Amino acid sequence: MKIVVCIKYSLDVSEIKVDSDSREIRLTGVPLKVGVIDQHVLEAAVKLAELYDGVVHAVTFGPVSAKESFRSALAMGVEDVTLIEDFTDGQGGPAVTAAVLDAAIKKIDGVDLVICGEVSDDGFTYQVPPRLAERLGFPQISFSRDINIEDGILFIHRELDDGSQTVEAPLPALISVTEETNTPRRPTLMEAMKAKQKPVHLWQVDEDLGLSKKDLMEKTGFEIVDTEGIVVNRKQHLLKGDNMEELANNLVDLLIQENVLEGGE
Amino acid sequence: MMATQISKIAVYSENLDMLRELLGKAHQTGAEEVAVIYVGESNPEAGEYGTWGANIVYSVISPKLTEFNPETYTDAITEVISRAKPDLILIGATKQGLELSPRIAERLDLSYASFCVDFELESKSQQVLAKCMIFSGIGVSTYRLHTKPAMLSVAGGVFDAVDLPGNEVILTPVSATIETPKLTIIEQKEKMIAGKRLEDAPVIIDIGQGFIEKDDVTMADELAALLCGQVSCSRPLSSERDWFPEWIGLSGAQLSPDLCFTIGTSGAIQHMIGIRGSKIIVSVNNDEYAGSHLQADYGVVTDLYEFLPSLIKVIKDRSIRIV
Repeated sequence: MKIVVCIKYSLDVSEIKVDSDSREIRLTGVPLKVGVIDQHVLEAAVKLAELYDGVVHAVTFGPVSAKESFRSALAMGVEDVTLIEDFTDGQGGPAVTAAVLDAAIKKIDGVDLVICGEVSDDGFTYQVPPRLAERLGFPQISFSRDINIEDGILFIHRELDDGSQTVEAPLPALISVTEETNTPRRPTLMEAMKAKQKPVHLWQVDEDLGLSKKDLMEKTGFEIVDTEGIVVNRKQHLLKGDNMEELANNLVDLLIQENVLEGGE
Repeated sequence: MMATQISKIAVYSENLDMLRELLGKAHQTGAEEVAVIYVGESNPEAGEYGTWGANIVYSVISPKLTEFNPETYTDAITEVISRAKPDLILIGATKQGLELSPRIAERLDLSYASFCVDFELESKSQQVLAKCMIFSGIGVSTYRLHTKPAMLSVAGGVFDAVDLPGNEVILTPVSATIETPKLTIIEQKEKMIAGKRLEDAPVIIDIGQGFIEKDDVTMADELAALLCGQVSCSRPLSSERDWFPEWIGLSGAQLSPDLCFTIGTSGAIQHMIGIRGSKIIVSVNNDEYAGSHLQADYGVVTDLYEFLPSLIKVIKDRSIRIV
């Protein structure tokens, strides 16, 4: 079974700060890494590969500077990583990413299962996996929890907002996983050593995938005309002390002053 | 003459509260046509949609649409969009909506921006300008969407519902070719639905991983009961521990109560965005440097297990209530 995982070299959103005066979002110095959600994608893929005699290939659309960041993905059990250079510098949007991943998966050929994260750590649009499934003509099963395969049929349990579904779909298919799907493994030292021998291929959208950069850019469908950070203007008044009743009384008094609580008499 | 407002807005959500909010916003923009896209096995109560702001319901009815299946629903909704030709489509950002809508956008080549908080027609370009949350709520970007129709996803609680008794609505059946899907639903289970809508509660007790045992939630329940509030939680308490059917945050409920206690939560942006609209936020966390204190009006730096029983006692002793 041939499995492709789609992963993303993502910004660590928890490190992004907003300048409280200019409202500028400060991205300089914010660390980038293979996403937290991608650890769950990799775990799901490697586990299925172990159970059903498969091979896992990783595909990613991102900057060339990400090249050294896939050691841990390779150590988890991925055969190789294909890094397709993002010529848009992250500005292409989900439609472009889906078109590029689609072309890469078709070039890899004979893919039985594509696994994505439900949403990337930084982009947070939820758009790429369904767009990719549509392009590939695959059934899609988002938010997969339990994943089993019998005779080329996927059986999946998934959680939606108002209930859960157990579904089946024939391979080839695309699934997305959530952070609740599994607990990612920690590679052993031996696996980490072996990973150094595994390749990270670098592809270009035009030379390797036969796509036109101009056509791709037109797929973006939008332009960003303005961006500003949200500044939280809360009082941030800290209450401390060892006497719990006194603390509670102080808090209640403050909330009465704020006119959200009122006293009994 | 240049239009100053979007002329035709279509709305889809299987969640009726969200549908109502989206219709309310569409109505308030002054759009000529405010349409509901309905997909199911039998016709809906269209009259109710009228009172929520719709003036037309496009309805695709088929036994193939009994259960939610992204493939059949994509076929049905793309057909409605091709027929109705809206300028803008608003999608409720539930899991179903988030699974379905990008597939529709890809098929129809629509410009699509996610997690919209406001939109308008740009008169010069005659294109939709949409303000959308980025980096899970750290900022807002304004997108100019190039296609017509354009598509936007919207989380719950962003827009206000309206009530228009007697507003007339036309039900328009749409026939669509629905391909036999590759995905088959074997079993569907409904989740237990919370008694009272969190959105309507004046006080929210928002609890996080600082709560160790499920039994400890009774402290939060007691506090909520004293203040006519509701208890809800951060994502792990719902999705991993299964203590609650839903959670607060960007991927869950977004609330704006008068008073919110966020207790034993870390202050991660994806979570805090769900309570950011609260009038007053009180955080309780024993870590002085917890992110939740930075995003609160009052931060109580103490162990929640010591503090909550005292707070409950003080509220009882002084007969404190919500204003």
